[in-house]
Formats: sequence, C-alpha cells, structure tokens
Amino acid sequence: MNFSGAEFTNKKKKVWLKILLGLAILFGLVFALNVLSSQIKNSFYIFSAPIQNAFSDAGKSSSGWLGSMLNATNLWEENNNLKKENQKLLTAISTLRSIQEGNQALSAISATCQDKNFATIMAGITGLDNQDMLTINKGSEDGIEEGMPVIDQYNVLYGKIFKVYKNFSQVILISNKNSVINVEAQQNNTEIGLENETTETNSGNIDIEAAENETPLKTEDSTINGVIKGNGGLSVFLDLVPVDDEINNGDILITSALDQNFPKDILVGKITEVQKNDQKPFQQAKINPFFSLENVENLFVITNYKKEN
Amino acid sequence: MIWFWPIITILLFYFFALLQSSFLIYFNLFGTVPNLIFILFFILVFFSEKDSYYRLFFCAIMAGTFLDIFSVSKFGISIILLTLIGLAVKKIQTLLKERDDNYPFAYFFSLFLGSLLAYNLLSQNISINFNQRFFTEIVYSSVIAILGFFIYKKFCGLKNKGKQKRFF
Repeated sequence: MNFSGAEFTNKKKKVWLKILLGLAILFGLVFALNVLSSQIKNSFYIFSAPIQNAFSDAGKSSSGWLGSMLNATNLWEENNNLKKENQKLLTAISTLRSIQEGNQALSAISATCQDKNFATIMAGITGLDNQDMLTINKGSEDGIEEGMPVIDQYNVLYGKIFKVYKNFSQVILISNKNSVINVEAQQNNTEIGLENETTETNSGNIDIEAAENETPLKTEDSTINGVIKGNGGLSVFLDLVPVDDEINNGDILITSALDQNFPKDILVGKITEVQKNDQKPFQQAKINPFFSLENVENLFVITNYKKEN
Repeated sequence: MIWFWPIITILLFYFFALLQSSFLIYFNLFGTVPNLIFILFFILVFFSEKDSYYRLFFCAIMAGTFLDIFSVSKFGISIILLTLIGLAVKKIQTLLKERDDNYPFAYFFSLFLGSLLAYNLLSQNISINFNQRFFTEIVYSSVIAILGFFIYKKFCGLKNKGKQKRFF
C-alpha cells in the first residue's frame, strides 16, 4: 500500500511538473512573440502580400460577379459609376457652397491646400479585420507616419494611420468604435442653394444659369457642428448636435475646421435618419458613410497635413 | 498521429487567415466576416481524441498566433483564450454521455456557440454591444462552422463512418 501511495505521489508530481513546464513554455512563447511583434507582423506581411493581393482580387471579382448575377447584368457596374459620379458632384457642391456662403478667401486657401499642396502616397488595401481596421501596403519605408489622414481619390474620408510597420500600415477606419471626428453639416442643396424658384427647361432639367443668378435664401452662416462616432461594422452615427440646430435627411457631412486631425471639407457621409428627443440636450442621426470597401482599389495617405495648434 | 499533421495544420491556418482577411471582406454582412481561424480551431479540437492535449495546445498556439497577427492587440491574448476554451470543450465532452457517435451535431453546435460567444466577449478590449453586427457575426460564423462540421465528418471522420446520419 505504501509503495502504491508513493507511486501515486510521484505520478501527481510528474503531472504538475508537466503543467508547470507547459505554462513556462507558453509564457516564454508569448513573451518572445511580443518582443518580436513588429518584425513578425512585418515579415508575415511581406511573405503574404502577393497571396493576399491575389485573394483580394479574386474576392473583388467574385463579389462583383455574384452581385451582377443576383441583381441584373450591369446594375452593379452602373451603380458603382453613379456612386463615383455622385461623390464627385458632392465634392464640387461642397466647394461651391463654401464660396456661396461668403468664405471665398478661406475656401480658396482650403481648396488650394487640398488640390495642390497636399502630398499624398497611394496605397493598396490588403486586408480588413473585424474591428474596422484596414491594412495597406505602405509603411514607414514609404514615409507613412501614425496619425496621417487617409482618403480616396474622390476626397472621401476613410480614417487615419493607426500603426506603422516597415512595409505596411494599419488604418483605423472612421467606423471603428474608438473613432471620433468633428464634422459640420451642409444642408441639402434642394433646400438651400436652390431653394428659390428655379427655372426648368422644357426637357425638365434645371436651368443652371438661371439657378446661379438666383440668390440663395439662407445667406447667414448655417454651419451645424457635431461629431461622427464609429459604430463598428463599417457604420457610423452623428452625435452631439444641439437640439436647436436643424438637421435633415440628406444633409452632407464634411470634416470640420475644429478637427485637428483631418483637413477641412473632406466628405464623410450623408444623414439618413434624424433621431431627435427634446428631453436630451443633443440629437443623433444615422449616417450613410461615403467610404466603401467594395468600390475602392487604392487609398491616398496625406503625408504633409500639419495639425493646427 | 501522422508525422506531417502539424505541417498541414499550419498551412490550413495560414490559408484560412489569408482567406479571412483578404477574400471574405468582399462578402461581409453588415461589416462582419466569419472567424475562419476560430472555426478551424474548434473543429480540430472538437474532433480530436479526448486525451490529445498536445494537439489542442498546438492548435491553440497556431490559431492564436494567426488571430493576433491580424489584430491590433498584443500577442498571446488569443493563444491563452483559445487554450482555455479548448480545455473547457474537451472537459465538457468527457462529461457528456457516451454515444454511438461521439461527435453528434447537437454537441458540436451548442459547444461552438458557447465557445464563440466566450471568445468574442473575452477578446474585446472595449465593451461589447449586443447589436445587429454582433449577432450577424455569430450567425455568419455558425453557418460556416456547420458546413465545416459536415465536411470534416464526410472527409476526415473515418472512424465514425456509417454513423453520420444520426445528428441528434
């Protein structure tokens, strides 16, 4: 019996020794991985980039094909083109409205900054994780630094650089739950710019010249400020808009001069549903963000935007 | 154990990691994609022998490493979480009643749901919201996991051949 007891104790000791050894190896491994974290991630990226690009291309074409099959032959493509055209027009409207509101000098400087003075680096998207973080194929070797704004060719805001590795970077999207951006709302053009009686031609189109000659009804400063917060799942919402300010469905949101992380007048999204409660000091709104991962191939990192102090 | 099993496992995790981060982003539902790495880890653990702890640890380290590579969190969180989840799954499996088919669908699905919920809740740095996105991710991953379950049983579950029609 004593012999069996000793054997049992030895066995128990061995089991504990194994557990302790396993834990030591596990924690050693975790420690080593964390020490070499940047190098491991960077090496993994360099090795995997060609395969990821191939998968990404395959995914893009497959999803497009599937979409076309589900809807109609050219519906997807047509929709994409319309979206692109719409975003171009919104950019133009955004600039025109600023000029109309009397801030010509400021707008000119802003537009000049956006159109000419901003240096950008083009980067391809290689991945997305479930926490609204994108991976792009440019890193510190290409001059990317943390905090740099990321937009697309249509002046639509995607987010900013969160973490930089040697050959790639992670972008925190505006839909990430930690993202908060100051924005201002621009009233829907059918209600502001073209609120007067616009002349329609025989074909039913708005006569642009006649519309231009009309004076807008609202000439006072109608800027409404709020913040865009990430909601996860590639969605965002508008918050902290005072209840007295009037926002409507269809209003366009652009980055505000109050936000020091992003240049002014970058397109963010469109209000789809205002949620107003008189008992709360602020109103919220559902937003349809302009950024879209389906329609974009390359992003642009603004490398020389300086934060205002 | 076949000697090249670890190599195949690593390659599978690697392939699924790339698929999840590059290919599936174009098939996202409300911004979510199925967690393929977790699904593969769970299937491998679920179908492993009751005392094959080396296999469990190996899968947890591999899956955890690939999950952490694609996340902004520090290395190790997923490894530790998956190890704990894997041990819990094996323990629960030993407690469940022995059946003709040791790997019935009902066990698989309920354990998978529990494990995925536990992993999602514990791995979030920020407070989790039980919103549409959360449930979409659970459903999306569950659908893929169910497919994986039947595929694994069909092609790899040779020991249980002939007993596969009994799901419950």
